Order: sequence, then structure tokens, then C-alpha cells
Amino acid sequence: MPLVTAYHRPASLDEALDLLSSPRRVALGGGTTLNADREPSDLEAVDLQSLGLDAIAATGDGQVRIGATATLDAVRRCDLLPDSLRELARIEQPSTLRTLATVGGLVAKGSAESLLLAGLLAHDARAELAGPASECSLAELLAAGLPPGSLITAVTVDPSGRTATARTGRTPADVPIVAAYGRRIEGFVAMALTGVGDCPVLVDVYDPTAGLEPAGDFRGSRDYRLHLAGTLTARVVQELYP
Amino acid sequence: MTLDVTFELNGAPVTAAVEPHHTLRETLRSLGMFSVHYGSDSGETGAAAILYDGRLASADVILAASADGHRVTTVESLNVSPDLHPVQTAFVAVGAFQSGYSAGAMILGTLALLEENPDPSEAEIRDMLSGILDRETAYVKPVEAVKRAAAVLRGEDTEPFAPLVLEPLTDGYRPAAEPLAGGEIPDAPQSVPRLVPSREVPDMAVVGKPEVKVDAVRLAKGNPAFTDDIEPRGMLYAKVLRSPHAHARILSIDDSRARAVPGVHAVLHYGNTPRVKYASGGQSWPNPHPYDQVSFDDRVRHVGDRVAAVAAETVEAAEEAMRLIEVEYDVLPAVFDERFAMDPDAPKVHDEDDTTHICDPERNLVHHMTAQRGDVDAQLAAAPHVFEQTFRVHQVQQCPIEPHISMAWLDSDERMVVRTATQVPFHTRRMLAPLIDMEIKDIRVIKPRIGGGFGAKQEMLIEDIVAHLAIATRRPVRLELDRAEEFYASRTRHPQTITFRTAVDDDGRLLAQDMSLIGNTGPYGTHGFTVQIVSGLRGLTSYNAASKRFDCHVVYTNIPVPGAYRGYGAPQAEFALEAHMEDIARSLDLDPIEFKRRNWVKVGDEMDIAPHLGERAVAEEELDEYPKVMSSGIEECVAQGRREIGWHRRDDESWKAPADRGNIRRGLGFAFCMHGTAIPFLDMGGCSIKLNDDGSFNMLIGATDLGTGADTVIGQIAAEVLGVPLDDIKVYSSDTDMTPFDTGAYASSTTYISGTAALRAAEAVRERLKARAAMLLEVDEPCTIELRDRRAYAADGRSVTLEEIALDSLHWQEQEQIMGTASHVSPDCPPPFAAQFAEVEVDVGTGQVTVTKLVMAVDCGVAINPVTASGQVEGGMIQALGYAHCEEIVLDGDGRMVNPSFGPYKIYRADEMPDTVVYLVQTMEDSGPFGAKAVAEIPKDGVAPAVRNAILDATGVAINDLPFTPERVWAALQAES
Repeated sequence: MPLVTAYHRPASLDEALDLLSSPRRVALGGGTTLNADREPSDLEAVDLQSLGLDAIAATGDGQVRIGATATLDAVRRCDLLPDSLRELARIEQPSTLRTLATVGGLVAKGSAESLLLAGLLAHDARAELAGPASECSLAELLAAGLPPGSLITAVTVDPSGRTATARTGRTPADVPIVAAYGRRIEGFVAMALTGVGDCPVLVDVYDPTAGLEPAGDFRGSRDYRLHLAGTLTARVVQELYP
Repeated sequence: MTLDVTFELNGAPVTAAVEPHHTLRETLRSLGMFSVHYGSDSGETGAAAILYDGRLASADVILAASADGHRVTTVESLNVSPDLHPVQTAFVAVGAFQSGYSAGAMILGTLALLEENPDPSEAEIRDMLSGILDRETAYVKPVEAVKRAAAVLRGEDTEPFAPLVLEPLTDGYRPAAEPLAGGEIPDAPQSVPRLVPSREVPDMAVVGKPEVKVDAVRLAKGNPAFTDDIEPRGMLYAKVLRSPHAHARILSIDDSRARAVPGVHAVLHYGNTPRVKYASGGQSWPNPHPYDQVSFDDRVRHVGDRVAAVAAETVEAAEEAMRLIEVEYDVLPAVFDERFAMDPDAPKVHDEDDTTHICDPERNLVHHMTAQRGDVDAQLAAAPHVFEQTFRVHQVQQCPIEPHISMAWLDSDERMVVRTATQVPFHTRRMLAPLIDMEIKDIRVIKPRIGGGFGAKQEMLIEDIVAHLAIATRRPVRLELDRAEEFYASRTRHPQTITFRTAVDDDGRLLAQDMSLIGNTGPYGTHGFTVQIVSGLRGLTSYNAASKRFDCHVVYTNIPVPGAYRGYGAPQAEFALEAHMEDIARSLDLDPIEFKRRNWVKVGDEMDIAPHLGERAVAEEELDEYPKVMSSGIEECVAQGRREIGWHRRDDESWKAPADRGNIRRGLGFAFCMHGTAIPFLDMGGCSIKLNDDGSFNMLIGATDLGTGADTVIGQIAAEVLGVPLDDIKVYSSDTDMTPFDTGAYASSTTYISGTAALRAAEAVRERLKARAAMLLEVDEPCTIELRDRRAYAADGRSVTLEEIALDSLHWQEQEQIMGTASHVSPDCPPPFAAQFAEVEVDVGTGQVTVTKLVMAVDCGVAINPVTASGQVEGGMIQALGYAHCEEIVLDGDGRMVNPSFGPYKIYRADEMPDTVVYLVQTMEDSGPFGAKAVAEIPKDGVAPAVRNAILDATGVAINDLPFTPERVWAALQAES
């Protein structure tokens, strides 16, 4: 892990934002990303656990608000959320890490291979931020990155709709090489893919590979990933319209 | 900046002073919670999992400071009395632990799961275990343990865990009648081994019984047992600076800034360490040449090669010093692929003048081995059918969850003590001596509990580093590899390119087999000679052919160093051989099992090329006598395995192409497996047994239990001879000062070799017990005395207890210490046989292969302990599945491993396992202890070809490279279409 030279546990958002204004300080959620980093850079950890950001609750407009420090395990257990999203939270991390990993950390990391992030995208997720910016869509946040001096405080999703998932990996529980998560609502399908860009992306179901330029790696070349994008999207659509 | 953190630990508040970077794992271990083990820094192994506010969580990624105010539970919380908690008992009862390195995590996960849900589904159990990587059990028996614990906690009765005894389907020699007799597939949980007994094997009191492992309690409690579980006072921490280049000369090293770091006590490198040549493979004296390594060289030959080592007061100081060592490299061109290593313009990996016995250093050719029987060329020229295929097998890592770890110190007599996770303590002592300029008698190597090895620890890998540093600092020094180092700086499986040419007559009988092999031994020879020899042995002894030829080139490259890995050359060869034989059968329109049966070796057949291969190979072309197969249960294995897998479905198109899943094709595959049992005339084990006052025995063995259950199995052998329960045999292994010599844990030798040594030692003790009993019972003929139930019985039924004999002999009359010592080396190498079956689903739209079931029916002679034996098969099969399916070391163009962590390097976890079913088919191997042969390695041999052949059955596509990753399969499907 990186050499953590100082530890802070702010009691308020303002205190946290103030601490995080220094570039050497890094927000610490569950630690599964930060503490697993093998780069030896020195940093100070700002632990968010006392900010009271771990609630998951229904909002008045049919949305579900997931606090940034809610763990993936809490998402898995939450019956306000659709079973498909809860299942994505389960498979995102194994049992010993999902009890620590947080939704805020997941969003901040923006892993290209995160199926849960793809699911959040398809559920019209919006990120609530503290700091200079207050709110944006998850898609915008993933594309542009977290604004400097900002902190993710919650993610809000629309739990409605029929959903389907298709994925390809080396083994059944492998992080998918490419995965597709679709949500059908009122004749519209929101389709999100992993493994085809720098982060999970929403695509056009009629032309899912348009504009995609995936980087190949040892698990899947560029062309293979594009093939999977088309194939898996078609399968999800077929399942959404049986 | 030190912080005081307070949290609840196992129900009581504790306050600890920590640094901001300390993890909770480190802090818990400093507080004496030794059940919390290191597997990686990123938490995915789960070896350091604890309950964090009641939920299972990896302590690796929790800062100790973050734990302030939280509730932390470790498995030590259960150790409130000598008795085990019901959850611990359940794990012990079903043999769920092999090395037990992650035992604490599994037990804690079970506690948390059952508290929330007293009756979890299997899927929920597997999900709980998904964060605890287990390289040993295939999760089969841990899942059973959780179910059993749940039942017990619900108040339900449970039966003793025991094998399911089945009737044979054959007469032991001929194939089963068609259709298969025997009715339905046996109905039992997959964790239960299916045992097909042999009429030749008598019922025994201890041997053949599912005895609880002798070390199970210490593992279940998380007691300090592993190398890292002691901490000598004043210990220093070592780190190794490793090469960033695949091939380079070190022009200079400036360590001045590193030495100036506070707390740094030594920095070693080529400039201040003696240059003593050696070969690191843990093998018998004399180690096979070439001796092409030194502790620190001025040349690096792979990314991760040693450059320097630092010892410091803290890990952080050592790491800081490493960063400050200034190294000037002259980067050289590198070669990675064995197929190009012998090219004239390939870079020369070894051009130094002090390494001898390289076959042709100009061509990177380390060894060129050949062996031949008959006239292969004539047969190939004249045969009606000749088939030629080339196969490529890749590089994988053993992945013990406990990485390499060693510590060394000078004791009060100034002798070097090395406590180390090794499979070869005696070889290590001998090999270490010249490197540190000490005599063997002044070195003691202690092998504590090992958290898995699988061959990676059949190596003198880091012991010289800690010993050098201990001498330099005169302080205890500890070195533990991190997970990335374990991948690219320990040992791996040899990649190979294998070509078979086979001549077949019109009746489907083999006339000749020609096997040529290029083995990639990376930058150092280590096991390069012997692994490739075993490939030849396995490739050319499984099937009968009048003419055979082995032509093998072993070459240097700049990949991470290959070495020993469970199976030791056999998995590579058997993949190629069984794929080749499958394709020949299809080409000749023959049933693959029938074609293989027509040719596989049977009882009485000679293994005629075997004596011409090996470390002590026979040079003569003809011998008066060749080793023969003396026992084989392969027909019964095939019959049981075929029934279990549902082999008839190969002809059922509706099953193979399910109408409701248009992208799926299903298939079944088979592989015939034959392995060896120990190395004849070479592997040797010793055992010493002494009687205690209470009629119990101390048994000292040099054998090295890696988690395999060797201590238990060898104890059972002695207990059977001495007429006592296993609990009366207290096993200690292995310590070069205390225990007899043993070559070590490799070559499937422990039960057969060390077990026979124990048998002989116990027989010697038995003779003295009989003599003393005869004296006490006033019987004239000691040979009429029988030992059973802790007593010695005269023929007339009178008896004395062993305790009475012990007290009499130790304290009363004609006093003597009753003890026996024996050793054993075998002229034989009886092969175990197995039938491996695989069931797969292939997604023809994506290439994804899902292996849905594996069945191995194995003839290991008499299974001394059917539960531990079946555990070996289950775990071995899943390691083998990883080899076939998803594991691979991937290097970039500069030789850097791009996936040195679990996840990118994919090993199977609990929630994605295929069904695995194990059959133990008994045969009586007269040369083995109570009829035993080997079992630990043969499960590695057949999975890759069985899966490959199942894919072929499903899709018609033959794939000759490993692993069967989605894109590779998809590309093959595209090419076919």
C-alpha cells in the first residue's frame, strides 16, 4: 500500500472538504482501492466514515439515494433496489471486500470493468457532490472525472424498469471482459457496456459499437471486444423483449 | 506520527499504538492474533479476513487507524477452552483444511453467515467463501463443513463423515459390460469420496479410515504454526531490489544513500557478496547441472531477478533504502519464446565463463536429451497411418496463498538457524552451506507449518538471502515475498512446445511414438532437466508402442523462472498426448476410449523407456529387465467415471445443442492419466519412533507436510502397525536437527516412501513391544503376541497395556528406550492411474467455455485416508482446471508481467466452481505401505486434455494451445466456420 503519513477522520463535510483541499490528501472510503495501491507514493488519508453518508433511502420521487459511504454489501442487501442491481453489487467484489468497498469509491475509481457502474448508468444515476459542483449525471462524472475539491456524497438511481445482463469472462465469476446491462422502461432501452472504453459507457442499442475504441489487452483484443459489445447487446435486447 | 487506536478485539477493548500506514492485519498480528495471515496487500486472498463489526472483511486493506471505535473478531475469540466451537468441529470433521492457512477466515465467515441465516443455501455458502481464495480444497469440503456446522447449530444430528462405498462395475481387468451395470449414479454430496474397495485389501483398524488430521485442531484454532508466527527478538526485515529489465548487465551499484537510511543494517549485492555458483532446485545430491546462479550477480536475466537485498529495523526503512540504491544498467536484448531461443541471432542468456555444463551456451541450449527404443523412423515410414501435431503449453504460477517466507538467525552456538516455508528442508541445508561458507553441521533448517507449496517451495529460493543478511547483521532477519514477487520472482510451470508423431496400424494399434519437446527453463536451469525428463516419461510410457523416441531441447530465455510445479512436467505432456490420441481416434473413426484402451499400458506391460530417462538414467540400449506395471484399476476407473459423467450423452443431440439456449453447445471429454510414485533408487525417507511412558509414541519424520495430510497418513500407517489409535502417535516434522533425513515433499513420494519408512520403523518398535509383552505375560514366543487396542495380547487372550510395557521398560526391569528407526528407498515406481472426465458448455457466440462438471476416478492403490486422498484429488483438479482454462502469466514485450495479482491472474473461487466428484478405486500395490500408491499429482494431469476434448466434442473444434480463454476459443470457432 502507499505510505500513509497521516490519518484524518473528519466529523463534518466541511472539515472533509477543507482537508481534501490539499493535493497530498486522498479520500478514504472502504480502503479497497486506496490501500490496495502498490505505488509507494506518500499521502495522507482522509477517512470519510464519520460523515454519516452511508444511508440508502427512497426519495419522494421514486428514486433511491445511496450514500457515498454505503458499502457494496449494503447495496446487495437493500430491498429498495432492484434485484438486478443488488446482484451486480454482489458480484462486483468478493465477500471479504464488498463489506468494505463503498459506492463513492466505486464511482470515484470509475473502473472500465465495473458492471455495477454500468448498472448505475443504465438506471439513470446522478451523483451528488459536495464542493464546487453540486450534482451531475454519473455518465458526465465518469467521462470528465471528479472536479477538483469535490467529494461524492451520494448516488441517486431510478430503480424502475425491466433489466437484463449478459457478460463474457474467462470463468463464471471473472471480471467480465465485456458486459452489457440493459434497462427497458416505457419503450426505451438504456444499455450500458463495460470493457469497451476508459469507463463504462451508455450506448445506442441499435448501433452499440458506434464510436467505441476499446483498448485491447491480454483478455480481449480491440476487435474481440467490439464483437462482444454487439453480441451481448443483442442478447440483452432479446431478453428485454422476449 | 504514532496514533493510539482503541477498538474492541474479541469482546474486550484494546488500545494499540500504530503508525498511520499500519494495516489492521499488521496490528492484529502484533497483538498476537496469528490466525490473521498475509496473502496479499490488496485483500483478495481473504487469508487475513476477520469480522469487522460482525461482517467478513479483509484486514489487509483496513488501516489500523480506521478501526478505531469498531468491533473486531478473530478466530482466537472461540478458543475459550480446549474444546472446539461447533463450527471449528465441523471443519475438522469433514477434512476441510489442507494447509489451513485461511482456516480462521473460513470459520469466521461461517459464524457470520449462520448468525444471519441458520439455513443458508449452497449458493449463499459459496458466496460467503468467494472472498477466501483456497488453492487446495476446491472448496468442496469447506462448503460441506459450513452445511454441517449449520445443521449442528440447528440442533440436527449429523453422521460421521465417511466415504460412500460402492460395488465395482468391472472384474478389475476387463471393460464394463455395455450398457453399464450398476444402475443409477450414486447419490451423495460431492464432498463424499466414492470408494470402490478391492477384495485384496483387508479391513484395517486405522489405515483406510477417514481419520481426522493430526494437525486439524491447531489449524481450526488459528494457533501459531506457520513460519511467520514467531518473531525472534531484534528481528530485522528484509526486502529485495529486483530488476526492472529482462536482461541487463549491472555496470555499477551505489548503495551509499541506502545505507544512510536510519534503521538500515545491511545492503548486499554482487559487490559485497561471495560469488558461489549453485542451482536452486531442491533436488538430491548432486544437484543436476548447470550451476548457473549466484546469490547476487552483476547480470540480471529476467524482470524480477535479484539485484540487492536490504535488512532494516522496519519494512518501511527497507523499502526506502531499496528506492535509494542507484543501479546503472546496460540493457541487453532478451528472448522469451522457447521456439526462438536457439536461433543464431538470439541473445545469449549465459555467456559468463564460470558456468559449466551448459550444453551449448551459444544457442541457449541448456540440455539436449534423447532416448529411443526400437526403430522409430522405419515405423513412421512404413505405417499405414501417421499423425503429427504440435501443442503449446504456457506459463502459470503455483500460487500458494502463503508466499515464500524465511527467517534466519545465529543461535547461541553461532549456528545458523533457518525457519522457512520449504518443501525440502534437508536439501536446503545442504545447498545453503557453501553459499554462506558454513558447514552443513552448523546449519539447522526448521520447516514449520506451510501454507501451500505445490512445488514452488521445492527450491532454495530465499533462504540464502536471509542467511547472508543474518551473518552481515548478526541479527535475526525475516524476508517474505509479496504477491507480485511470488508471481514473477519465485517459480512457475515450464512452458513447452511439444510435437508428437505417431504411427498407427489398421487395427488402431500404435506402432511408434516420436515426441520432440522444447522446454523453456527461463534464465536458470533449476528443475529444467528433470521436469522435461518427466514430460518425456509421461508422454511415452502411457501407451504401448514398439518404437519410441524422445528428443528434448531445454533452452534458456528471459521469462520468470520456471521450476517445480505439482505434476512436474506431466500436465504439459499429458495435455499434448491425450489431445493427440483423441484426434487420432477421431481420424480413424474409432471411439476415443476404445482406441486408447487398445493401447494403454496394462498390468504386466513394461515401461521400457523409463530407465533410459531421468537423473540416474541407464545409458545401455538394452536391459535384462524393465520395470512393469504391477497394479492398475483403470478399467474400473473408466467404468465409474463414465457412469458419473453420463458419457452416453455424447450421442444425445438434444442435450448437446439445447433448444432453449441457442448459443450453447455441450460436450464431454475424457483423458487417460498415468503418473509415477516417487523416483526409484533416489527418493528416500526416514522415520524414528519412540515409546512414551503412557504407551503413546513420538514419531519424527523428515517428510514435509504441505497441507497434504502427510503427517496424518504416515501417522496412520504407524498406528496400524502398533495397534493404537492415531491420537497416540504424536507426529513431528521436519527439522534437520531433530528428524531423520527425507528428500522432501515432491514426486508423489511421501506416502509411498516416507510411509514405508514409518512402516518399517513401527515394525521395529512392534518387535520390541512384543518381546517385552512376552516377558511380562511369560510367553515363550513373542511372535505369537498381537498388538491391538493399545494392548499386547497373548494367544490365550491375556494381555498387558502398552502403558504397562512402557512403564516396565522405562522404569522397572531391564530398562530400555523402545524405539525404532528406519529409512526407505524403492526400486519401483508404481504408477497410479486415473480416468478424467469433463463436461463443458461452449458459448459459440462469444467463445466462453464453462466447465460444469469434473469427475476423476483414480486408482491410488489403497487410500490410507480416503478423506485426505479425495481432498488431494479435488484440489488438484481445480488447479489443473485453472491451467486449462484461465490462468496465465502474461508478459509484455519487455518481459514484464502485466497481471501479477489475483483477479487479472485468475484462479477459481468458491462461487464459480464446477461440480467435482472423486472416485477412489482401490488396487493392492504390493510394493507400497498397506498397498498405497501416489495420489497428489495425478489430478493435475487429465483436466486440460479432458476439457479440450470436451470442447472438441461440443463444437468440432480442436484447440492445441492453452489456456482456453474466450477469445482463443472464439477465434478457433471463427476459423473453423
